[in-house]
Amino acid sequence: MAYSEKLIDHYENPRNIGSFDKTAEDVGTGLVGAPACGDVMKLQIKVGPDGLIEDAKFKTFGCGSAIASSSLVTEWVKGKTIDEAETIKNTDIARHLALPPVKIHCSVLAEDAIKAAIADYRAKATRKAE
Amino acid sequence: MDHFARLGLPAALDLDAAALDRVYFALQRQWHPDRFVSRPPDERARASAEAASLNEAYRTLKDPLSRAFYMAGMAGVDLPGDGKTIDDPDLLMEAMEAREALHDADTLDAVDKLAAEARQDVQKALAELASLFLANDRGAIRKALLRLRYLDKFAEEARARRMNIDRSNA
Repeated sequence: MAYSEKLIDHYENPRNIGSFDKTAEDVGTGLVGAPACGDVMKLQIKVGPDGLIEDAKFKTFGCGSAIASSSLVTEWVKGKTIDEAETIKNTDIARHLALPPVKIHCSVLAEDAIKAAIADYRAKATRKAE
Repeated sequence: MDHFARLGLPAALDLDAAALDRVYFALQRQWHPDRFVSRPPDERARASAEAASLNEAYRTLKDPLSRAFYMAGMAGVDLPGDGKTIDDPDLLMEAMEAREALHDADTLDAVDKLAAEARQDVQKALAELASLFLANDRGAIRKALLRLRYLDKFAEEARARRMNIDRSNA
């Protein structure tokens, strides 16, 4: 199976690996897993006072496609509003990395991870406002 | 006919491995194609179908984890298939921390220690699962099986990590 150059690049040089303090108010954390393949993915966003995502980090234990998908998403969300980041679709990720059909579920995991991170950030912001 | 009934065994997670071997090998002899070479075609076909079903039943029930997933299917437990994601924070946090610890383990001893702990977790989870099946608690069965799947994946990754360390020491 031939993997695309973009996929291999993200796998070999993953961007934004690491963690933020998940209890921080400006951090949203998404933790998702695909039990069928045993993958687990953590994706975090740090939102600035202007409402833009100023930084993002990820940690993924899974196959190369799962690592590349999460690495790509952390790059894409930087500088976006959370509403914009929420519109990222797994099909965009799969197309950009030219994921083979058997690896499409890795892009689903990355979409679910960013959505979960945004939901976590919003829940924190709501609690703070109350 | 379900796999347990085919082998004449009670449908329980806590299966006697020696009894499973015994009935399987006895039935396998009974339906062996060699014994049907001079029989009419319909009997030969039946024997070959029986032998194939027996092998399938044995393969499924021999391994405790595979047996547990099969029993979950029988009990109508809904498990996420390929491409389905979960967001159970306790389970995923445990899986993430275990994989991080494995990633940081850089000696064979350290990897073996983590693998031994994971094996104990599997044994404990299987023992608990046996009573969950008896109580037919589908939600708890689902949760326990998802955890077991991650523990199984951990064991696989620990073997891979061990080989990597072994190779770089050589």
